[in-house]
Order: sequence, then C-alpha cells, then structure tokens
Amino acid sequence: MPFISRTARQSDYSHFPSTCPIVIDNGGSYFRIGWAGETDPRLVFRNIVQRPRHKTTGETVSIVGDQDPTLLRYFDCTRSGPRSAFDSNVVYQFEIMEYILDFGFDRMGVDGSQSLYFILGQLPMQEKRVISVGSLFLKQVDHPVLITECVCNPIQSRSKMAELLFESYGVPSIAFGVDAAFSYKYNQQCGVCGEDGLAICSGFATSHAIPHSYIYGFPELLSLSTFFSLFDCSRFTWEKVEDLKMEHCYIAPDYASEVRLFQKGTKEAEEKTRCWQLPWVPPPTEEPRSEEEIARKAAIKERQGQRLREMAEAKRSSRINELENQLQGLEFLLQQLAYVQESDVPSFLAETGYVSKQEIESTLAKVTQSLRKAKGEQVESEAKADPSATEKFPLVNIPDEMLTLEQLKEKRKQLFLKTTTEGRQRAKQKRFEEEMERERLNQQDEEKRLENPELYLEQLQAKYKELSEKVEQRKRLKTNGGPTNGNHNVSGGVGRGERLNAAQKERMRLLTTAAFDRGKGEDTFGARDEDWHLYKLMSKDNDDDDEGPDEDEAELARVTSRLQVDYSFLYIKHMLLHLLNSLITSSLPMWDILLNLNSSLWQDIDPKFVPKSEPGPWQSSTEVPRSRPMTKEDFQILLEVERFRCPEILFQPNLIGIDQAGLDEMVGVSLRRLPSKAEGLEDRLTSNIFLTGGSCLYPGMSERLEAGIRMIRPCGSPIKIVKAFDPIFDAWRGAAAYANSLLFPQQTFTRMDYYEKGEDWLRKVKLIISEAYYALLKENRLFSFPMLSSLYGCCVLQLKF
Amino acid sequence: MEAEVVESEMVLPTHLRFKRIQMYEKYPKGQSRGRHWKHLKQILQAENFQNYRPNEPHYVNIESPPSMHPCKRICDITGYEAPYFDPRTNLRYANAEVFKIIRSLPNDYVQRYLALRNAAVVLK
Repeated sequence: MPFISRTARQSDYSHFPSTCPIVIDNGGSYFRIGWAGETDPRLVFRNIVQRPRHKTTGETVSIVGDQDPTLLRYFDCTRSGPRSAFDSNVVYQFEIMEYILDFGFDRMGVDGSQSLYFILGQLPMQEKRVISVGSLFLKQVDHPVLITECVCNPIQSRSKMAELLFESYGVPSIAFGVDAAFSYKYNQQCGVCGEDGLAICSGFATSHAIPHSYIYGFPELLSLSTFFSLFDCSRFTWEKVEDLKMEHCYIAPDYASEVRLFQKGTKEAEEKTRCWQLPWVPPPTEEPRSEEEIARKAAIKERQGQRLREMAEAKRSSRINELENQLQGLEFLLQQLAYVQESDVPSFLAETGYVSKQEIESTLAKVTQSLRKAKGEQVESEAKADPSATEKFPLVNIPDEMLTLEQLKEKRKQLFLKTTTEGRQRAKQKRFEEEMERERLNQQDEEKRLENPELYLEQLQAKYKELSEKVEQRKRLKTNGGPTNGNHNVSGGVGRGERLNAAQKERMRLLTTAAFDRGKGEDTFGARDEDWHLYKLMSKDNDDDDEGPDEDEAELARVTSRLQVDYSFLYIKHMLLHLLNSLITSSLPMWDILLNLNSSLWQDIDPKFVPKSEPGPWQSSTEVPRSRPMTKEDFQILLEVERFRCPEILFQPNLIGIDQAGLDEMVGVSLRRLPSKAEGLEDRLTSNIFLTGGSCLYPGMSERLEAGIRMIRPCGSPIKIVKAFDPIFDAWRGAAAYANSLLFPQQTFTRMDYYEKGEDWLRKVKLIISEAYYALLKENRLFSFPMLSSLYGCCVLQLKF
Repeated sequence: MEAEVVESEMVLPTHLRFKRIQMYEKYPKGQSRGRHWKHLKQILQAENFQNYRPNEPHYVNIESPPSMHPCKRICDITGYEAPYFDPRTNLRYANAEVFKIIRSLPNDYVQRYLALRNAAVVLK
C-alpha cells in the first residue's frame, strides 16, 4: 500500500500549551491531523466512516478510517458501505465529518483536560508559582484549529464546519485555508519552486490550477479511480482498487501510440502488462496409486460384487419358490373345483377368495408366466431369437381356391401374423439405421468441433438462434391461436389477422365451406357420415402442427446442450476487465454503483446459459471443453490498457463524458484569464509550474503535462514543471508552518465573533480577496510585486477584518 | 465485543469526554439520520452566485471550460482507438471482434458501459 495510515493514540496532548494550534488537512482521501510547528502530521487515516453492525450484539458502531479487514469479520458490513463526508471536494455530510473529527481528536489524546501548570506559567514571572494542582476538566478542545478546505469552498459548507467546531468541540478559534496554497508555500520555502508560479493541485476528486498571483483556480470535476473487475468480489474493495491505481497506473506520453502498441501485441506491450495473480489452489492431483492399492481396491470391488450377486440370487430363488407354491395352490384349487358341482361353486369359491373360475385361471396363467420369467433368463434369449425363423406360414403361399374354409381362416390368421412380424422387423431395422446415422452425425460433429472450434461455435450459435426463434414463433402462434381454436363458433369475434398459420387458415376455410348456406333452406350438414370427416380433417391439421415443432425443439435441446459449457474464468475476466476498466468518479455514490455493478455482474456472468433468453452471451472466441481443468492463468487479472487509460482522463475528461478541458488546456486557460498582463508574467508562471496533490504521483505526469503545455504556449517559452517534495503531506506541512507563524493568531476567527455575530454573519461575509491580501501585503514582507502577493496571505480567507 | 476488537480500538467510542454534545444526543436513534444534508448541487444553488461580483471567484465560475480539442474516441470495451460506432447500442468499438462481443451483450451490461461514459439512458 503506498499510503500507510497512522492512527496510534498520541499521549502527549498535555504537553502542548493551549495556544498551540492543531492543524488539520481535510483531504478527500486522507485526513491528516497534527500539531503546528512539526514536520509530520501525527495521524493520517482515510477520510471515511463505516457504520456496521456487530454480528453478535447487534449494536451499530462507527469505524473511522481504513481498518484491518480481518477484524471486520465480526461485523456485518453488508449494509454499510464506507461513506465519505465529501461530495466532490466539498464537505456536505457533517455527521460523518463529526465522526471523523471525533476520531481524530480522540486519537490525538484530547481529553478535555487543561493542565493548570501552563495556565500559571503564563502569568508574569514574579507571580509564577509552581502549583501542581489537578487538571481542569473542560469540555472542549482547547486549541485553535487550522483546517484546510477546497478552493472557493461554498460559504454554507464553511459555516457548517465552523458551527461544528465551535458548538460541538468548543474550539476557541478557527482558520481556513486552501491546501494547494499551503503546499506551494511550503515548497517555496524549501526552494523547490520560485516566487511566482502556477500550482496544479490534483487531488482525489478535483484538480485545480492556481496561479500564484490570484486565486483563480480551475477545478476540474475529475474523478479518478480505476476500477478493476473482480473475480471474487469479496476480495475486491474499492480501497484495494485505489491501491492498485496508485501502484500500477502511469500516464502515457501519448495515448494513441501506447494503445497501438497494445493492439499490435508487441513485446513492449507484453512487458507493460501487469498480471495480478489471485490466490488459487490447484485441484489436488491424483498420485499414481501403487500396485497394492490397486489390487486392494480391486479385491474390495470383487467382494462387493460377489455379495450383491449372492443377494440377488437368494432373492430370485425365494421368489421362484413363492411362485411355485402359489401355482401349486391354484392348480389344486382348480382340481377341486372340477369335483365340485355347479351349484356349489359360488359358495366354494367364496371361501378361497376368488369369484369365478375364469379368475382362477387367469391368475394361474399370470403366475406361470411370472414364474417362467423369474426362472427364465435363459429362456429369454431363445425367445428373442429370430422370430421369423420359428414362425412359419405354410398356408400363406397357397392360393385361395385350394383351401378349405377352415384353412382359409387359418391362412388369414397367418397372413396377419406374417405382416405384423415383418412390420416389426422393418421397424427394428429402421431404428437400428437411425441410430447408426445419429452416431455418425455425432462423430462428424466431434471432428468438426475439434478441428475448428470457433467456426463450429459460431455455427452452433447461429443454429440455436434460428431454432429458438422458430420455436418461439410457433409458441406464440399457438397461444394466439388457442383462443380461436377453442371457439370455432365465435363468428365475428376473432380478427382475421390472428389466424396466421396456414393450418388455421385451412381450418377456417373448411368451416366456412361447411357453413356455407347453399340456399336450399335446410341445413343438411351431418345427415351424411362423410360430413363429419370435416372435423377429422381439421383436427389432423392441428396434429401436423404439433409434429413440426417437436423436431425443432429436439434439435434445439441438442444444440443447447452443446452450448452449455463452462464459463471459464477466461471469458469472465475478459469481459469484466474490459467492462470495468474505466475511469469513474471517485465520489462514493458512484463507487457504490460500480461496486454493485461489479458484484452483480460477477454473479450474472456465472451463468447458467439460460436457453430461450439470451443465447450464449459470453462466448468469446474460444470454446473451452468441459473437461479442461482450471489453470493458474484463469485466476489472473491482466492490467494492460487500463494502466494508462485511467489517468488519461486527467488530460481528456471527455473519455468519461465530462465536458471539460484537460489539465494541460486548463493551464492555458488560466494563463489567459489572468487579470493583468504584466510583462513576462505568463513566462514566469510557466517556468514555475508546481505539481502537488495525490494524483500527481503517476509516473509520466510531468512529461505529459510539459508536452501538453508546450503545444499551447508560443514556441520557445520556458516551461518548467516541478513536483512537490512530498505531494501528499506537503499541504499539511505548509499549513503547520503557517500556523506556527506569528501572524496566525490575528487571522483566526474566534468563538466570540461567532457567538456575537452568529452563523448568518459568515454567510454575509463574502470573500474579498483583493482587500484582504492587500492588507496582508503590507504587513507581510515576503512579496516582491504589488500584484503578486505571497500565497501566504492569499490563501487565508479572511473572515474578519 | 471480541477481545481483539476491543484491543485494537477500532471502534469509535460513543461518549467522548471533550465533546459538549455527544453524537447520540445530537442524532438520536430512530430518526432519519443523514437525509437532511444538502448535496453539492443544492448547496451551490442556495449560494446565489449571481449576486456576487462578476470577477470574484467562487465555486462555480472557476470551473474549467469545455475543451477545445476534438474529442478522442476510444473503444468502450477494450480501450483501443475506436473509429466505429454501433447505432443500436451506442457503443464505440475498435474492430469486428469487439463488435461481436457488443452484439452479444445483454442490455443492462450495455447500459453500464454507457454509464461509464456518462451516456446511458437515464429514466427519471
């Protein structure tokens, strides 16, 4: 992780006198807080709040900043995403701001106590007494606070912030400042950049170009974050994505040429590709079993088989016995029945439970048959043997005249039998042939698939589409035709348009011809038998209709099953990466959208190729056979074009639909808009371009910016771009240095003013920079030209004068 | 709470000694918590920037103007240069393969791609 949060609890709060200001750099991504005069902020953490519920106790807690994810498992974080107080670069959610300030002050060690030693120490020397009393407990943060804000912060936001600090924390006085200005000032003192210059502050949500002469900033409503797709959504959080962004993104000197590199797939492109391997466990490979193991397993199987066979045998024999007994019983009964006289039959039979002789005989026959079956697996094979061989039709070939009546009857029977057996044979033959045919087709299919998977897939898909359309259409027609089918008698109700089917049209035609009044007066339909054949015709049409789709549907089912292959991670990665590799707004709501997009996308894509809805959506060029095991490559995410596509929006916001100028153009515009055209001012400014802010850390930023500005400025004008010494912390350092200066106490806004004049007064106070900084100019001897003031003064928005 | 959670102190304590009004008093449970915060757009509207002097910088007038350069068109799916445009889905694509993929996308994916470019159809 490029940025490491520091949230250790500070213990030296009591060492600082109450005049020592607390300096807060309230950034869009990180919150930095510390004491004035120090070189580093004491605490650094992400400017977000989560409010998950504890899983076991159910209470809702607040967690500020980024925390160890392993500890978060005790909490149910599904309903609470991380929330930021910012909307673009303006604070608007003061509840969240309060949580963050709570946390910041708490960790700074603020406990509200004010050591009395210091109070006494401020008395004149003579009266100083070392009295160690306990500490006063004040419910307040007893230090002035310097807090940064964005350029031209709306007054409402500022006043709410003031209200928060005064009312809830009891801060004695506040000052606001622009973070970019502080950074510039600090670097100026360090000698990194000169007196007059143009500060380009590219933060989390916006970028500003601030000429050092006037606070004219041009915030771009840019939001930069790459958003990478995920396989495993639980692993991907937007924080991780942020980290990825900072680590891997770079700015290409020229987008078009870089992209062409990747398109061609050159070796350079390969080198520039970063591959992220997700944790992946290969499936356990089967070790080759040793001989004995195999033998042992075989023996076990054999034994099991043996056991099963024995059981089957036992069952069979018991059943045979049973049946034989039954048979015997029945035969005995029959015999007895023969002796019994007719009249006694019913009573006799009533005892045994059979109603009549026929019943007994039929049960007897059944039992014999089942006995034969149980015994007779041996018999079976003979029975199935060529029936034509056993059946002889001696009489068939003899012509009719030579036979007697009985023989004729016999002959007819035999003829009938012969035809049926022949028919059966033919059917069997045909079935056999069909199977062979199908086998052959499958074989061909396989070959085709193996030799050219892509083409095959395409064909399959096309066929699927066609078939599904046909089936759908037929279904539609059927449902449309349904009502009309049922109501043959509805005369005018159904429109002619619904009967699209030829069969339906035919049916209607038949009906109308039948109903046609031939004018003879009487309707004689139905008097003759042939009339009723009409209905047979009609229903036959219906049947024909049904057979067609069945074939198609069978075909469809077959094709579907071929298409239903595993969606290997290959596709998914492909699709997702391309989908989500974009520059999206960093403002959190959009994050949520994209996160959702990501997660749901991920779930959707794990498809179930749903037939009849979207045919094979994610088939890309290679079809993966089902049996191929997942390899390591499947769990990798490749960052190729995305690496430089994302920061590209800094220079071309059009890529995400924001209609604004990019950074390089912005510089040009700000130079144009300078109020005075002092000589060489522009040159002076361009020779001192200062980059700060988190987003300027991308490699290649300076070169690109320089190239861009050179395109705008006249040939030969000096262009020098310097980066802040430490773009992330310099703003805080500058603010700390400023707060430590002697002038600071005069520039703060005290609680007294706030109480007297109220919150509304802040609203009425408009930002009057010119007067303010002129005033400061006189006091401050660090400037050289009347027009150019030191940002030192400029940046403080005077709230009282 | 589990021991390690308490130890790591990651949870914000509910009662802070230095505060005048605690959070739970300010935002009692059960009431709608965050919905009364104005978003940036509303804040800007309420500011009445027309009443300011024309030269004075404020949040809105320091916004960057539209770009003078012609818009660069890149493929929505791959990021390559995209000279082509699919009228049915309004996506830009770089070559025929990408086109195939585009045509096989279900509608909501298409909308998401477009949303990344701020070009999705928004139904209010």
